[in-house]
Amino acid sequence: MRGGGRLRALWRTSTWTWAPESEREAGEAIVRNLWLHWFPNKVTVRSASWGYSLWLGTAAASLFLILLVTGMLLMFFYVPSVEQAYWSMKDIRFAVSFGWLLRNQHRWAAHLMVGTTFLHMARVFVTGAYRGPRSLNWLVGIALLLLTLLLSFTGYLLPWDQLAYWAVTVGTNIAREAPVVGETLRFLLLGGSTIGQATLLRFYVLHVFVLPAAVLVLFAYHMWRVRKDGGLAAIEPLRRARAQAAGPPAPTKSYSLFGVTRGATIQTLVSTDLEEEDVAFSSPELVRRVVLVFLLVFNVTLLLSVLFNAPLEEAANPALTPNPAKAPWYFLWLQELVASTTVRIGGFSVSGGFVGGILVPGVLLLLAAAWPFLDQSPRGTEGVWLPRERRRQNLVFGLVALAMIALIIVSLYFRGPSWGFYWPWQPWPQEPTRL
Amino acid sequence: MRRPFSRLERFDFPALVVLSLLFFALVIAGVAREERSDWRPIQTRFRGVLEQNGQVGAARAFVPGVRQLWIPQLGRVDRCVTCHLGYEWSGTLPADLPAPLAPHPPLPYLGAHPFEEFGCTSCHAGQGFATATEAAHGHVEHWDEPLLDAALAGRYGLTAAELMQMRCNGCHRRDESTPGMETIDRGKVLFRKNKCLVCHMVEGRGGLKAPNLTYIGDKNPELFDFSHVTGPRTAFNWHVQHLTHADVVSPGTAMPDFDFEPEEARALALLLLSWRRESFPPRYLPGPPPPAGVAEARPVPAAAPPPQIVGAEAGREVFVTRGCTSCHGVGSGTVIGPDLKGVGARRDADWLRHWLADPAATLRAYPSLRSWPAEYGNIVMPNQNLSSDDIEALVQYLGKL
Repeated sequence: MRGGGRLRALWRTSTWTWAPESEREAGEAIVRNLWLHWFPNKVTVRSASWGYSLWLGTAAASLFLILLVTGMLLMFFYVPSVEQAYWSMKDIRFAVSFGWLLRNQHRWAAHLMVGTTFLHMARVFVTGAYRGPRSLNWLVGIALLLLTLLLSFTGYLLPWDQLAYWAVTVGTNIAREAPVVGETLRFLLLGGSTIGQATLLRFYVLHVFVLPAAVLVLFAYHMWRVRKDGGLAAIEPLRRARAQAAGPPAPTKSYSLFGVTRGATIQTLVSTDLEEEDVAFSSPELVRRVVLVFLLVFNVTLLLSVLFNAPLEEAANPALTPNPAKAPWYFLWLQELVASTTVRIGGFSVSGGFVGGILVPGVLLLLAAAWPFLDQSPRGTEGVWLPRERRRQNLVFGLVALAMIALIIVSLYFRGPSWGFYWPWQPWPQEPTRL
Repeated sequence: MRRPFSRLERFDFPALVVLSLLFFALVIAGVAREERSDWRPIQTRFRGVLEQNGQVGAARAFVPGVRQLWIPQLGRVDRCVTCHLGYEWSGTLPADLPAPLAPHPPLPYLGAHPFEEFGCTSCHAGQGFATATEAAHGHVEHWDEPLLDAALAGRYGLTAAELMQMRCNGCHRRDESTPGMETIDRGKVLFRKNKCLVCHMVEGRGGLKAPNLTYIGDKNPELFDFSHVTGPRTAFNWHVQHLTHADVVSPGTAMPDFDFEPEEARALALLLLSWRRESFPPRYLPGPPPPAGVAEARPVPAAAPPPQIVGAEAGREVFVTRGCTSCHGVGSGTVIGPDLKGVGARRDADWLRHWLADPAATLRAYPSLRSWPAEYGNIVMPNQNLSSDDIEALVQYLGKL
């Protein structure tokens, strides 16, 4: 029964035990498993609690997985050509079995992923989890957030309807305001000076291959760094408490050529002096929660998809600008900034494109990237929610986020034709039709 | 071996149960949404209609599902026929069936516009891609080509047939007059009579004093000034009011007042809206009109007026002289084509007319006939180029066999 034994071994490396009966079995369920080996064998209770991380990173990763699968299926039906793209969307909506579901789920999961990734970043900020060795991972996280925005933005064009065409027109016109490189950047992105077949192809290739591949690589690195940085920052207060109780750190079980060394092991850059009661086995505790989070996220996307259809407007028409033309919601705060910083005095108008499109987002991005190196608050606040010592910076972060959200809400719900102010219940002037 | 995890752990199991149940419910909801459709009950009804009308074989062969007429040359995918199932059963199914199942009326020009080559939306507009009633009829947001139905036509005091002439004129725009397009033809006459080309340019001919009208039907409705227009804010309404009171709709315009009657203005507005930037493969374009005088002279041979034989007797004459008997027997079984004994009971007069006028087109128009060529040695009856009188006579004769 050698073949049977080999099959059983294969089975064991692709599934895992939910109820290990010994420490060894619990450890092997993680370490020897193809899908779980990137998890730690044991995890501290606080890192895996619902309340510390809110599991936002896992939620974002779950959304990415949903997007990968639905996106791959959509690729079988979508044709990236300006003549056919819009009509293939109609086919997906009306004629492909469960095509509406695929598209809705892809659309809503994409929006949710942008939101979740931002919330994940906010959580990392307010818990001060970007300090010390984790500052590199903070930068990786910012890159992942930017990639998520780019993925969503490139996907926005693909339906090739009026919404897509003009949202991308607005978005890339903002990019043009960048000094020196703006015009070239836009030309490269569009494959020309206006949106056309070259743009559609570039956005498609970026959307279905380049950007997802980059996200996968960076995501793997992000997770690897979490391990190498000693786990979530949630363990820092605990470790400090244990270290104080134990006095000077004991040598860890790491052997150099000349014997026991002090400090970090080669597996992690940080030593851990945790007690048995601080940690739990990843199988089943961590795995179960990952599954729960995935199930929750999947249910949310499914619910949204059954209830709401992804928008599909008229076929793209370069000759007919819808009024108002709005960027995707996550760029709307920029569009609102551009619109409200454009100054008109008589016949002169000073474009707000530089302020709203480049200055504000550029400064915010640079500040975010540099913050781990500028933050002067005491290290003891790592891994603690809203500590008093970091009250001021958390307040500023919150206010900036609130301002962004407020601007998004104003431009999403209160802006009508010619970017005029309209109450949500106020009807817009009716657009004339042919018949 | 299990160690206490966290205070919240006891919620994990209920959460798993709740989320799993929710997942289950959502999957059911998704499947229900996929399965629920406007067309499924209609297709079931249609099968019943087929059975009631003696088409048991067709009813049995009926496979439910989305159907479409795909015309790549015109870029049209018309899934209308998913619900409008009786469209090609004219003559077999009663003409007074309720709306989606009724056969397409056997219009005289249908033979020249077979469904397989024109689809539905070529003439009727609407959203051919859609498979839900409202979306398919195109009376929805984000669809610019609504179904040209009676309700829409009624807004402008027109009939659906008149409104649809807008679509006919896509291919027929260069015809002087076209049977069945009387309203637009009236517009064409008015356009000529009032010498619109003195100021307006159309397809490279005309003046440059006023806007070029070659593709006026595609003009973005938002570019019309509606501030002096009453009623619906549509391009059609703008044209109608502009044609009746140019000086009111466009103050200061150089366009003179032509005193058009409302129906004249509507005919001209139809003509204007039909002028769009559409291109059709050459074989969709109508041939040159017969030279004046020849068309009338052709059907009746000028010399030697024969003694007038009428009705079935005349039909028998045609049947024999045109050599039908070389392929068809009457009561003697299949020769090359089918035995025509009792053909009048099997086929109604309209079907026979259609067949005699163009066997190949009829074969294409009736899917129930697709097996015919195979049954008869892959020979399709050649078009005999029968005159309409001959056809009428033959129909009467065949009806008595």
